Amino acid sequence: MNNAHIEVQNLSKTYRVPQRQSGLGAALRSLARREYTEVTAVSHLSFAIQPGEMVGFIGPNGAGKTTTLKMLAGLLHPSGGTAVVAGYTPWERRPEYLRRISMVLGNKSQMLWDIPPLDTFHVLGEIYGITPTDLQQTVEELTAVLDMGDLLTKPVRNLSLGERMKCELVAALLHRPSVLFLDEPTLGLDVSMQRRLRQFIADTNRRTGATMILTSHYMADVAELCPRVVLIHQGRLLYDGLLGQLSDQLAPFKLIRLALDRANGEGEWRHRLPEGTAVLDPDPANLTLRVPRRETSAITAYLLNTLPVVDLSVENPPLEAVIDQIYQEAAV
Amino acid sequence: MNTNHQGGLALMRATWLSWMQHRSFFFILAFGWMMQPLIFMFVWATAAGDQTVGGLTRGEIVAYYLTLILVNQITYSQTNWTVGDLIRGGDMNRLLLLPMSPLYNTLAAELAGKVVYLTFVLPITVGLALLLKPEFNLTAVSLIAFLPALLLAWLLRFLWGYALALLAFWAARADALLAVQDALVFLLAGQAAPMLLLPPLLRTLAVILPFRYMVGFPAEVLTGQLDAAQLAFGFAMQIGWLAVTVLLYQLMWRRGVRQYTAVGG
Repeated sequence: MNNAHIEVQNLSKTYRVPQRQSGLGAALRSLARREYTEVTAVSHLSFAIQPGEMVGFIGPNGAGKTTTLKMLAGLLHPSGGTAVVAGYTPWERRPEYLRRISMVLGNKSQMLWDIPPLDTFHVLGEIYGITPTDLQQTVEELTAVLDMGDLLTKPVRNLSLGERMKCELVAALLHRPSVLFLDEPTLGLDVSMQRRLRQFIADTNRRTGATMILTSHYMADVAELCPRVVLIHQGRLLYDGLLGQLSDQLAPFKLIRLALDRANGEGEWRHRLPEGTAVLDPDPANLTLRVPRRETSAITAYLLNTLPVVDLSVENPPLEAVIDQIYQEAAV
Repeated sequence: MNTNHQGGLALMRATWLSWMQHRSFFFILAFGWMMQPLIFMFVWATAAGDQTVGGLTRGEIVAYYLTLILVNQITYSQTNWTVGDLIRGGDMNRLLLLPMSPLYNTLAAELAGKVVYLTFVLPITVGLALLLKPEFNLTAVSLIAFLPALLLAWLLRFLWGYALALLAFWAARADALLAVQDALVFLLAGQAAPMLLLPPLLRTLAVILPFRYMVGFPAEVLTGQLDAAQLAFGFAMQIGWLAVTVLLYQLMWRRGVRQYTAVGG
């Protein structure tokens, strides 16, 4: 995998967290001697990402997604392991590296608060050494796509969250980065704004060929943008592959939908369900059952034999349900 | 260090623009900083009466303190108080993502702030000078030597404070040290009393430690309290302490960034 744009091996990060009981006595004792606990945020993570690829990091809160992104963006030093991004070790923080990457943090603003976005863009232009002509061209291009002409001259603090997020994306793309880290870019936005930004991100990926890693708690973001997902749980890698195959590999159950014949004793179906079957929708016209994956065929055969089935289909559970199940179990 | 003067300059212009919107805030800050030296000016000027204290006449004391007010305003690095917040609150993240040392951000705020509050302090000091009739014994040497002394004083005070503020990488409330720093400056940098009036032990400390070279020294230079040898010695100390501070800053920065935990999104 010599041509990988991002190559991560055994990346680990352990935080030392000062530990203290509440109360004055404990506060005084901790002055004399601090006790620390070690918290493992990321543990032996390995993966490789090809140029232009768009990968989604998913996992519950505190799984280690953001910590991993921060190490790749050079904000954090790892406790172990290696990473090479665009030929550089991120945490050496070389200016040439920082000029090639960009990071959008959904809950931290890159914009200067009291002045209009256009002024911030000009400052960033100077910082990244973009020529005024290039800068103007890029700004015009991006703001046209995002339809934000009238936002450019209002102070940032007067913008709505969605409007500000548009500015953040423009700010992140001014220097045409070849690697883009998007940490919860749609956090707190309404559905249509989410869709809008998603579309923009997808277009940007196609147009610029930038390699992108995205974290999001909105599965719609990931499902629409990222063919490939990396599932991180408790700092470890649980799954790395196509989103479409995630349920196949990780969901321990399937859904059986059936329609029963109303004329033919539909009321008794409840008593004839095999063990381990959960009813998700009790409407006999659209009866939905959750069954253990291993027993799917046996249960299907049983249902066809014992119930007046008109129609039957077997499906993978929706992604959200699978993810929820994984998040709730300590390990799969 | 990640040098990027072009970006730093642009950042300064932008910061200045945004701070001009909060002018009155800076005016109030600046007013607060003027109070202490003003009070001590009146104390010592009254003590001098028609005679002298420590060889200084009333008019010379007024001249010294008016200069000190200006020097203090120009060298006081108020932005260092916010460096700890940047680190604790996770705002350092966005600065670390830029191909530019985060020092530029603080430097830009520092310079932008000075331009704003000097528009308030300069007229007031001139007004006070017209009222209180200071005795300036200006010479060509004191005038010429004042500017580099002032510049070095500011560099030293700024960078020293910044290096202290970087302790926030390790300890959550490191800015307590900045308060200690302010107390030492007050005592040893010619604010509570001009150097000439300090008791011998304090005076020795003042001469050795860096604080006098952050505030008091340029004021002594301008008001002609120093002979040629003292002047040369003072500059040597300023440059020496500045070199030490640069090393301290580099050490703190390199170690601190490794330690950084990049809290919050």
